[in-house]
Amino acid sequence: MNYFVGIDIGSTAIKISVADETKNLVGYKISASGSMFYKYAQEALSELLRELGIDEKEVVYTVATGYGRKLFKEADENISEITANAIGAQQAAKEYGEIKTIINIGGQDSKAISLDGEGNVVNFAMNDRCAAGTGKFLDVVAMNLEIGVDELSDYHFKSVGTPLSISSTCAVFAESEIIGLLGNGHNVEDIVSGVHYSIAKRIVKLVKRVGVKETIYFDGGPALNDGLVNAIENELGHKIFVPEYPQITTSYGAAVLACDAFLSESAN
Amino acid sequence: METEHTIETPHQRQNRHKAMEAISVLNALKEDFKFPIQSMGYFYDRFEKVYCHHEPLHEGKAKIGTMCIQIPSEIIYALDAVPIRLCNGFSTDDEIGSDLLPQKSCPLVKATVGWFASDNFFDKPDITFSPTTCDQKTKAGAIIESFGHTVIDVGFPRTKESEESRHYWRESVKSFAVKLSKFQGKKLTRSNLERAIKKVGYVQSLYHKLTEFRKNKAVPILGVDMFLVTNAFFFDRIDEWIGAVEKLVSELERRANDGVNVAGKASPRIIYTGSPPIFPNYKIPLIIEQSDAIIVADETCSSNRMFNDMAAVDEWNLYDMIDSVSDKYLKGCTCPIFTQNDDRIRRIIQLVRSYSGDGVIYQAFAGCQVYEMEQRSVLAAMEREGIPILYIESDYSPSQHGQLTTRVEAFVESLKNRKRKKK
Repeated sequence: MNYFVGIDIGSTAIKISVADETKNLVGYKISASGSMFYKYAQEALSELLRELGIDEKEVVYTVATGYGRKLFKEADENISEITANAIGAQQAAKEYGEIKTIINIGGQDSKAISLDGEGNVVNFAMNDRCAAGTGKFLDVVAMNLEIGVDELSDYHFKSVGTPLSISSTCAVFAESEIIGLLGNGHNVEDIVSGVHYSIAKRIVKLVKRVGVKETIYFDGGPALNDGLVNAIENELGHKIFVPEYPQITTSYGAAVLACDAFLSESAN
Repeated sequence: METEHTIETPHQRQNRHKAMEAISVLNALKEDFKFPIQSMGYFYDRFEKVYCHHEPLHEGKAKIGTMCIQIPSEIIYALDAVPIRLCNGFSTDDEIGSDLLPQKSCPLVKATVGWFASDNFFDKPDITFSPTTCDQKTKAGAIIESFGHTVIDVGFPRTKESEESRHYWRESVKSFAVKLSKFQGKKLTRSNLERAIKKVGYVQSLYHKLTEFRKNKAVPILGVDMFLVTNAFFFDRIDEWIGAVEKLVSELERRANDGVNVAGKASPRIIYTGSPPIFPNYKIPLIIEQSDAIIVADETCSSNRMFNDMAAVDEWNLYDMIDSVSDKYLKGCTCPIFTQNDDRIRRIIQLVRSYSGDGVIYQAFAGCQVYEMEQRSVLAAMEREGIPILYIESDYSPSQHGQLTTRVEAFVESLKNRKRKKK
């Protein structure tokens, strides 16, 4: 049987998806990027194939994407994460509806992508410069508050006071603001919801630049944080769709593209 | 999968945004400075109640919106209604108003228009009176009317010195009184107007008591706290406000006796002038006082200009009272909309002298043309008098904080150096 691999090497994590000839997701793996992208990517791939009982020869086409895509030399092709994200979202949500807007928050960047009815990228906007308001930022916040990143959501929904906005979404400056708020006895819940709303406001600005059109799809690791999802929905004033595995949309898109590329090559 | 959250309505979202703006300023006032004043608690709570919890204060009362300080609150109180001053300091509302007004408009006007556009009030005015002061406010009245709200223009002259202006304004105020009296179904009488004038006069005397303490070498109250106190008068229940300020006066008396100084040893004393800091847009005053300077007096329409001059009544009969009240709002006004405005310059110099000011900080809202234009004559006058002055243009956006801080800090440091050299 033929299998297709999409491998997304991001700043924080390596995401690998394997699809079959019907473009169904048959397996995925997420591991830390660490210091040696290439080595870790190869190891993670072999491990995933072993787990799935797939022989390496059965993998007939591999597409790499993400910041580190050019480091993965074995790939048959590589594409930008924006294209891969669009394809992945379209495919992952096909039973749900037509995706017109994608919000992606990654480890160190965030994007808003606008799609036409056929899943083609019409426009996109990315955050400028730094890790402001990205996954890394949430890591730093959780660390300062001495809670786990996976607890942020619970704290968000427990907040009953006014969310305490963080004026700086710079990971470095926010740290001192948060410490200041804690020092003045403010509760963690209101700080967390304030942080979520600060990020949400920022991302909604990006979305407005490309145009808010439903259905809106949210992926990337931070989409696992339901509190952040809630904050973005409130800022947008629209419901958003979060896929079952928000971290792997882009790698899945690369796998789907691998399948298309292989089928069109063999048809010729 | 589809999430299960319910989404905020646009009003809920605006309210949350405003609450977030409000709480961060209130927290800064409460937490960033030494020797907090106990009786300020009333004001912090009041702002939190209104702007974070959106609780109305005047249910069942007729609420009269005023677009500027020139609408005589004495007449509104006399007719048993509540004045609600609609000058707005929220960036949330400024953003909403930005979609409706030219880009270069004044943020205060945009915020007021945005407030009406969203129709999201804690105490919604039943009717609004708009004095024809600056161009933007004048036109804003008409825009607000287009949203289905009743706005009545009150003609206000642009020259202050002439007898014709005085006459015109007195007639405007009379006509305002007639319209409001009809609206309320109540008669303006000698006794209810006298009572109201005396009450507002008492309010002003309390304000003057507060400001007296700021002449001391050891300043017992921050400028930002003073702005909050006067700002509360925009919307508060007057009797509760009076009670709270009386308590504040006695606490400041005790602090003055004990020599409590909220400023630092070398803190320069600042006179603040220009576009009004209206809650929660305390950006510049906060930066000043966080930069080790202290605001000891101001010449702004959200504070000093609102309380400085009292109605001077000769004969306590109805028409004389109305005329005296009218004169107070014209003759005492130092708004830059007037053709000639030497009064404002004189007032600033007088404040520098009597409050031992080391320097003046002049803020103009980007888009507030009259303040931007009057900058030149004020700067020249200060130079003649040898008074250092810093001119800052800013708006309601939360950005530019870093640059503004650097500018203010550099000015404060230069004042400190001057002070040291004088010694």
